[in-house]
Amino acid sequence: MPLRDKLLRHRKDNRLIVGALVALLLLFTTLFYFVQRGRDLPPELVTNRVLLFVLWYANVILILTVLFVLLRNVFKLVIERRARVLGSTFKFKLVATYIGLSLIPVLLLFGIAAELLQGSFDRWFNTPLAPVLARGNAVAQGLYDQIEKTDLRDARRVLREIQGFDLRRAQDRPRLTRHLQDLLSELGLDVLEVYEGTEFVFAVINPESGMGSLPDPGRDLLEQAAAAGNAATVDTPPGIPGRLMLAAVAAARPAAAKRNAESRPPVIVVAGSRIDARLADQRDTLVRDYQTYRQLEAQKDDLRASHLLIFLMVTLLILLGSSWAGLYLARRVTVPIQALAEGTRRISGGDLGHRVDVEADDELGVLVRSFNGMTEELASNKAELERGNRELVSTNQRLAGERALLAAVLENVAAGVVSVDGDGRIFLCNGAALEMLRQAEDAVLGRRPDEAWADPERAKLAALLAGDDEAGGAAAREVQLVLGGEWKTFEAKVTALTRGAGDAETARGKVLVLEDLTELIKAQQLAAWNEAARRIAHEIKNPLTPIRLAAERLLNKQRQGDPELGAAIEQGVEIIVREVLNLQGMVDEFSRYARMPRPLPAQVDLSRLVGDTLNLYRNLKPGVEVDSDLDAALPPAWLDGEQIRRALINLLDNAVEATDAPGRVTVAARTDNGHLEIQVADTGRGIAPEAKDKLFLPYYSTKGRGTGMGLAIVHRIVADHQGTIRVEDNLPRGTVVTLELPTGTEST
Amino acid sequence: MWERGQGVRGARLPGLMRAIPATLALAGVLLLAPQARAAGPRISPIQVAVDGDRLLAAFALRDGFDDRLRKRIESGLPTSILYVVELHRDRKRWYDLRLQENTLEVTTMYDAVARAYNVHFKLDGKLIESRTVHDLKAAQEAMTEIGPVPVFQITGLPHEWRLLLKVRAETGSRNLLSLIPVTIGTDWKESPKFRVPGTP
Repeated sequence: MPLRDKLLRHRKDNRLIVGALVALLLLFTTLFYFVQRGRDLPPELVTNRVLLFVLWYANVILILTVLFVLLRNVFKLVIERRARVLGSTFKFKLVATYIGLSLIPVLLLFGIAAELLQGSFDRWFNTPLAPVLARGNAVAQGLYDQIEKTDLRDARRVLREIQGFDLRRAQDRPRLTRHLQDLLSELGLDVLEVYEGTEFVFAVINPESGMGSLPDPGRDLLEQAAAAGNAATVDTPPGIPGRLMLAAVAAARPAAAKRNAESRPPVIVVAGSRIDARLADQRDTLVRDYQTYRQLEAQKDDLRASHLLIFLMVTLLILLGSSWAGLYLARRVTVPIQALAEGTRRISGGDLGHRVDVEADDELGVLVRSFNGMTEELASNKAELERGNRELVSTNQRLAGERALLAAVLENVAAGVVSVDGDGRIFLCNGAALEMLRQAEDAVLGRRPDEAWADPERAKLAALLAGDDEAGGAAAREVQLVLGGEWKTFEAKVTALTRGAGDAETARGKVLVLEDLTELIKAQQLAAWNEAARRIAHEIKNPLTPIRLAAERLLNKQRQGDPELGAAIEQGVEIIVREVLNLQGMVDEFSRYARMPRPLPAQVDLSRLVGDTLNLYRNLKPGVEVDSDLDAALPPAWLDGEQIRRALINLLDNAVEATDAPGRVTVAARTDNGHLEIQVADTGRGIAPEAKDKLFLPYYSTKGRGTGMGLAIVHRIVADHQGTIRVEDNLPRGTVVTLELPTGTEST
Repeated sequence: MWERGQGVRGARLPGLMRAIPATLALAGVLLLAPQARAAGPRISPIQVAVDGDRLLAAFALRDGFDDRLRKRIESGLPTSILYVVELHRDRKRWYDLRLQENTLEVTTMYDAVARAYNVHFKLDGKLIESRTVHDLKAAQEAMTEIGPVPVFQITGLPHEWRLLLKVRAETGSRNLLSLIPVTIGTDWKESPKFRVPGTP
């Protein structure tokens, strides 16, 4: 969602909250205003039945609304909890807390306030003022009763006094008037009126009463008096302050007169006495106040009900507002959390494209944004991983192909391959190796080399694998084993498998490659013997020619009878003997080579052996220096000392002979990883490359003299000691012959 | 309706407003209400008379003028008794058909200063009579002894219809639990069935 929409939505939410709060405030203000105004309203308006029902109706609506809001949310929460919607438990707790925090205090407040209101009402109407007001009202009413009673009594007396007068005779009027005036003065009345029925006859008035005109008692009073015999009323006289009590008494008429419609109406005397204005007002005020009190008392229940209903309505409004606000706030908290929980669930289910779309600007907003950022990061990483995985799968497939190819190659290659893992157990042994070592696969795979090759012959291979000197690189040995009664010659090459590079490089196994040299050596030996035979034949043929020539010369001399036959015989025999001796020497040398014994190892002090041998050649050839370069810590070696001495002599013979003065021949010896290295270096003419391959063949010589068996014997001695020999150029000139021999142990 | 009932004297509440509080009040209220009515005020047998095209009714309220009403009148508050009169057509084996409805409101206001009871009669919201009495007994009689009063015009009603009047009185309200306003009144009282005089 764009930022602008977010801001607008946020502002809208805030406006909603502020609007609701303002509306609630206005409502409460209005209610407070009406409650305040209600004090001045007449009680009958406050306690109006319509108002009560309206209030009750409003309260019922509010109760239903609150219940609806609460039950709806509770129902939703219960449904969500049953459906195990993520975040529903948290939402339930939060909403319960909000509602509880608002519901309990408000209901407690209402209960306490209602009880206080009830008590206040009871105290108001149980005040001691009530009996005082009642007594005052009784006195006030009694005052009028008393005046009425007096006036009725006076009116009856006047009626009795005037019964002797004929009211319709004009002659009696003056006397009647005087009599009435006397009675007026005597009785202290303010007015006396005489009627016949409702028809006015005459009246007298007290001039001190202040009345400017006669008061009219009214037709109702006269009729009521005529019907009931007497009647009284209180009236307000025109023109003067105060009240006027008018008491009417009608003369009793015979029943026959009542039935006769033509008979004269009854005489009615109306006696009036004025009540002082101040007294009347006080009396009226007292009566009205008492009435007001009684009205309040009569409306007490309605008044209490209306106040309680108003209070209940305010309580419900507060409750509704607080519940709504609580639910709204809970929703603002729980909705993002629920969305986050749902998002977490979706993402844990693999939907990394899901985003939490909830508006929140507080810490929850930060959480939501962080969550979405994390999700994007996860999606990106997943894409990277998938791409990497695809590449890995491709690589694995390629490697599997290569592994299959390698396995096929290993199975078909002539060389034997044995591989040892980091734990030192054989995990690969191809068919060629099994065939060479004459073992079954089960006897080799998964075993350590010293277990698989426990016999003394194969143990040489185990020792070769266990060697430390080749740990960091590769080493090649020629190993001769007696397997199944046959001599087998293998070239064994051990290569360490490493992981990492540089200082972090660690060994994780070794590979032993065996090459069966037995047939090759046989072939080489056969070729060597062929060459040797050819050379022997050649060498033998060389002395034979002088012998044959010497013999033919002697025969010719004999046939010719040459006188110098004797000298010729002497000379010929000398030649023949010399050549025969040469032949005998050749045969002896070859016999020695052929009969060379197996080496008998013994502990040899190599320094001493080399030193003694060198002493034979010091100062042998002028201008050629012979010296040694021996390691000071040269340990004793288990070798056949005599054979090694012979090899050294042959090498030194060749070196001294090949070195012209000035020159140098040096013998060096040192040990390296359990191997003895002896080098014979000269600064002589060197060896042509094409001659290096044939140097160790019997009867091969580049000197044109000698038997050619020297280096062949050296090669034979070194081979019998499980060693190697190599010939290299000695830069800048000369030749270096290096012998590598195992130092060996007493057991070997 | 509301217009007729405005003011302090006996507004006549609409049916809905009377029904909802009673419906939503406690169930006990509803259960107890009929029992209270059975022992409370009632309408006496209704006398019906036809005067030309007017239908006159006379009836009385018995046991309805209780101490509450008495105290209220003597306090000087306007106190009303509302009589609801309905004209129904009687139908056999079916609900009666209400033809017309009318109200008679009798209001008494005591003037303590003048020591007089002013009684006013309003039929369908229109003042039809006022009288002044000087004691409470007369005021009670005026409020509870009604009639004959012309309650309906029966012009045009077929003479073969069997008709009847139903009368109910409302004497005020009380508050249950000091909170819930409940109308006090009588059950419906039915008159004997009658027909409009005329040529069959």
